[in-house]
Amino acid sequence: MRALKLSKKDEIKLYDVLKEFGEVWAPVPKGSKYVYGKIEKKEDLVIHEECILPIIPVKKFLMPPDFTMLKFTPSKYSIPEEDIPTTVVVGVPACDIHAVNILDKFYTTDYVDNYYMKRRERLIIIGKSGTPRENCFCHKSNTSIVEEGYDLFFFDLGDYYLVWVGSEKGDDIVRKGADIFSEEVPKDVSKKFVEFRRNRNKSYINDVDLEGVTDLMELMYDAPFWDEFGEKCLSCGQCTMVCPTCTCFNVIDDLALSGETGERRRYWDSCMFKDYSLVAGQHNFRESKAERLKLWYTHKLKAFIGHFGSPSCVGCGRCIETCPVDINVVTVVEKMKG
Amino acid sequence: MKKKPTLGIYGFTGCAGCQLAVLDCEDILVDLFNYVDIKVFYEAMSNNEDVANVDIALVEGSINTNKQLNELKEIREKAGVLVAFGSCANFGGIQAMALGDGKWEQRFTRVYGDAKFTVAIPREAQPIHKFVKVDAFIPGCPPSTPQMLRALTQLLHGNQPTYTNSPVCLECKFRENECLLNDGKLCLGPLTMGGCTAPCPSHNTPCIGCWGIIDEANHTSELKLLKEKGFKTEDIIQRFRIFGGSKIVEKVQKLLEVE
Ligand code: SF4
Ligand code: SF4
Ligand code: SF4
Ligand code: SF4
Ligand code: SF4
Repeated sequence: MRALKLSKKDEIKLYDVLKEFGEVWAPVPKGSKYVYGKIEKKEDLVIHEECILPIIPVKKFLMPPDFTMLKFTPSKYSIPEEDIPTTVVVGVPACDIHAVNILDKFYTTDYVDNYYMKRRERLIIIGKSGTPRENCFCHKSNTSIVEEGYDLFFFDLGDYYLVWVGSEKGDDIVRKGADIFSEEVPKDVSKKFVEFRRNRNKSYINDVDLEGVTDLMELMYDAPFWDEFGEKCLSCGQCTMVCPTCTCFNVIDDLALSGETGERRRYWDSCMFKDYSLVAGQHNFRESKAERLKLWYTHKLKAFIGHFGSPSCVGCGRCIETCPVDINVVTVVEKMKG
Repeated sequence: MKKKPTLGIYGFTGCAGCQLAVLDCEDILVDLFNYVDIKVFYEAMSNNEDVANVDIALVEGSINTNKQLNELKEIREKAGVLVAFGSCANFGGIQAMALGDGKWEQRFTRVYGDAKFTVAIPREAQPIHKFVKVDAFIPGCPPSTPQMLRALTQLLHGNQPTYTNSPVCLECKFRENECLLNDGKLCLGPLTMGGCTAPCPSHNTPCIGCWGIIDEANHTSELKLLKEKGFKTEDIIQRFRIFGGSKIVEKVQKLLEVE
């Protein structure tokens, strides 16, 4: 891995370099929040000082909320020739890159999901470390820094960005932009970098204590607070939509009137919905909302470790910001710890 | 060619928007004529038979008069499969928003005084399942084209229509909207059946529940939440009632008991 320097005075030229590689997407304002939007003008590519968490995370590029998987007739099927553009997404925080690494494991271990892979191969990730937001707790979930999963990663060190190159594609980009990415990194860079990290570590506001929660999930599985949360839960599913590591989807066939041809659609589903755990014969594994919440938090804080070696909560805090009735990692952990 | 299934599209009290939604299928409409033989279409045909023997009957609207009730019963007798089509047929629609709120006779007299009705004797607006067996339902105010076509296709091939048993919030999040509830607005998205693609919150307007109440709706929790946000109980209940129709009645009573 190597590191280069991008002067802030050259930042405006970044767009023209990136656009050579594909569509450029970055956080754009929507109401009081941000969404990843397509950037059409170089002035609109803004690198923010603080971490930006768009309403829907990077997963929207890798597994769109609703898409056609295939079209069929009685004798054959075809996968629509999709024109999936190469997308360069800029300004992705460390936690969300960890989330992509988790999605990569999930969708490529045991069974390879080709729909995912096709999009993953065409996604270029440019990460950026920034000041934590109010609800962030990546310092507690070991996701505040990231070593893999990005193509380039930016640190704001005052009048320049320190740019880590994390992949061959990243390398291609800095070569193409040789006039703005400089090998001549200032001598005091390590001092500045340490200082940046120290300041950042000091600026977290969310102080949730995740120590031991994996075991507590087991011990508190039958605790009464789950029923209290169950009574409150609106089953709106927003927590699962905004969580960067939620992957569930449903598949349905839409037939044409003839009943002979049709298309197969795949769209995001949520374990917070009753029908999600409904099986043949009207049996439902998780009839109550409390059961569904337990499943989710087990999945986020515990079960994933057994399969993939780390919990699947990356500390982004979106559930905290989004759940209308304050069911989130912090309130759940607080209950578990009494 | 196999004989085409016959279809009847009937309408009672409502805005006729559901019937118009069938016409609004445009290009697919022509295709529809290839697969079904439409015997009755109140809104769109001039030479309608009164009530015909049909394989599938789509019934729009609530029942508001005794005459309608008799007609509904006849439709039921002459239909293979009877489908409640749209919110009014399913829950009563906005004309049923006062269901269970005191006596209907009193409300009626307050508005119409002692007017005499000769053509059709009015009665309290009710969804059709209150009177006849309903085999399937298509939600919506009016139903969306994809949802309606999916249901019709399923019916034509002898299957039970599937519907979207997830709340409006799902599609609202697909469209990357900031949650209006968190912004202090009275949004009924979590209580409402999805399928509409969340046009209202996508235009920064709270959902008022026109697709009907979803099975899982947690009115108790949403009422509590909205009160914490400063709304008055009456105003919240009033909003629940707009499209709550017959489904909200029981829930409202329970909620008020809790108060
Ligand atoms: S959780 Fe960490 S990496 Fe993610 S946005 Fe917050 S501070 Fe940035
Ligand atoms: S559980 Fe919450 S904090 Fe953890 S990754 Fe999901 S949305 Fe972010
Ligand atoms: S936990 Fe919160 S965000 Fe998730 S489904 Fe329940 S109410 Fe909605
Ligand atoms: S704005 Fe309304 S519909 Fe959208 S997520 Fe919030 S509550 Fe649900
Ligand atoms: S009021 Fe609600 S259910 Fe009706 S169209 Fe708007 S968002 Fe959909």
